[in-house]
Amino acid sequence: MEIAVDVRQLVKVYEDKVRALDGVDLAVEAGKVFALLGPNGAGKTTLMRILTTQLKPTSGEAYVFGLDVARDGAEVRRLVSYIPQEMSVWTDISGYENLLIYAKIYGIPSTKRRGIIEDALEKMGLSEVANHLVKTYSGGMVRRLEVACCMLVKPKIMFLDEPTIGLDPSARKVVWKELASFKREYGVTVFFNTHYMDEADLYSDEIAIINGGKIVKLGTAEELKRSVGGEVILFSLEVNRVGEDCLGKVRRVSLVNDVIANDSELSVVVKDAETALPDIMEVLRKEGVSVKKISITKPTLDDVFLKYVGTRLEYGERISEVRQVRDMIKRG
Amino acid sequence: MDSLRNILVMIELELRRLKHDRTELYTRAVQPILWIVVYGPIMSLVKAIPTGSIPYTDYITPGVLIQSTTFVSIFYGLTIVWERDSGILKKLLVTPASRYATVIGRSMASGVRAIFQALIIVPVALLIGVRFIPDITYSISALLIIFFASGGFAATSILVASFMKTRERFMGIGQAITFPLFFASNALYPVGMMPPILQEFSLVNPMSYIVDAVRGLTISGDLANLPIDLIAIATFDATMFVAASACFKKIIE
Repeated sequence: MEIAVDVRQLVKVYEDKVRALDGVDLAVEAGKVFALLGPNGAGKTTLMRILTTQLKPTSGEAYVFGLDVARDGAEVRRLVSYIPQEMSVWTDISGYENLLIYAKIYGIPSTKRRGIIEDALEKMGLSEVANHLVKTYSGGMVRRLEVACCMLVKPKIMFLDEPTIGLDPSARKVVWKELASFKREYGVTVFFNTHYMDEADLYSDEIAIINGGKIVKLGTAEELKRSVGGEVILFSLEVNRVGEDCLGKVRRVSLVNDVIANDSELSVVVKDAETALPDIMEVLRKEGVSVKKISITKPTLDDVFLKYVGTRLEYGERISEVRQVRDMIKRG
Repeated sequence: MDSLRNILVMIELELRRLKHDRTELYTRAVQPILWIVVYGPIMSLVKAIPTGSIPYTDYITPGVLIQSTTFVSIFYGLTIVWERDSGILKKLLVTPASRYATVIGRSMASGVRAIFQALIIVPVALLIGVRFIPDITYSISALLIIFFASGGFAATSILVASFMKTRERFMGIGQAITFPLFFASNALYPVGMMPPILQEFSLVNPMSYIVDAVRGLTISGDLANLPIDLIAIATFDATMFVAASACFKKIIE
């Protein structure tokens, strides 16, 4: 198993005052999509900027594919692509020209340049507007152009800082669809920061929650949700009462945490509903209890966030702030 | 090799931007044209400034030219501040291009802008009767000097942008740099006319050397000081390139 990102006891203190990172430990497997979730000021962007060699850590170590980001910056920069939170393309030249400039910076040979650029534009659905000035693009198109830019060099790892913040849901979906197909094709590792729970849930293989400069929880979306305490299976029964004997047997089913009977309803708290359900059904069937309806309530990542960070993730204000910055940038 | 390529890419970027929008060059040309078309001829009538056998408007034309190209370069830092705000600089610093190549490349890109600025002003000067030395080698040499000197000033502005992180502060400091450089140089009058303290200052003022070199190559034909001028410009450029590159990372911190 190759490790793409390895972070050990990483600390970053700004101007001897603000402790943005307070001993981060993290390992990301190569080829995975990794999401870093956290409230504003949690240290997400600082961590990403250290990993992309923009900032030096105050103490601790960070490696990207085994290269020390503080010492081997030039080598690290050959492996990574990065999309900053704000905007990373020039708005007063065309989309094609932006890719051409970056292709030259990355030293793509002139014989291959045109083909690679046209391919990236086509994949991102930007061929038709390739020669338009970027200032005429919508927010989603600008983001797709930035992703196209990352694709030019077939990086080993992509760092995306809030890749879809401020975009409407359909534009977000398009960006992720293209990122996913790029990842499938080239096996690139994706490390992204986000405010959107649904994106972390849908698109990541692993999630870390960062708060106060520390990783407070790490795992797959399912693991995180389970860690909240469990899922509830609610049975609506044909009978009005279930005997104590039957309840005892349900309690003894593995993965069951608690059983609450209330007239014709039976609530069972379990660690993993999908695995426990067949066993519980088997017990109820043997006991002759017929079931009318079953519903499963699962904890969401919002609940996970609430548990580990102590607040719900507020992003309305942040999104409008980012939109304002983007509009300002586009106006030039 | 990679660094040279990246410097050229930055120059290409600037040419592409100019291809799409040249408004700034035209609006910035208004002020120097007023100096040449209004101030020059009026001051010539007074005959208060000893410029030898050279008509006063001819005398100030290289100075005004350098002042305007310096303005373009000093305010190039605004582009850098904008790129910092927009995220482009963060992205550029995560590419394999070295900081030196990025800083020198962006500075020389401003030199390209400066040459275009000069090419707008020169025809106006010709129209009102300024007589340039009709020697193509001299003219090209003068343009090259403007190109490299502007790069030095743009590096100065990148250095300033690394510390002044908002546009408003940058505007203020930009004005505070350019006007003293202009007035404490030989752009509008010979250094000998200045109070002694300003004469001392003009010795370390790069603009004096640039104006002297360009005036020698385009108007007076006096190239006696050219080697010293070139050494001064090269020293200024090298110092600014190193200082701006060293501080460049600060701009995104």
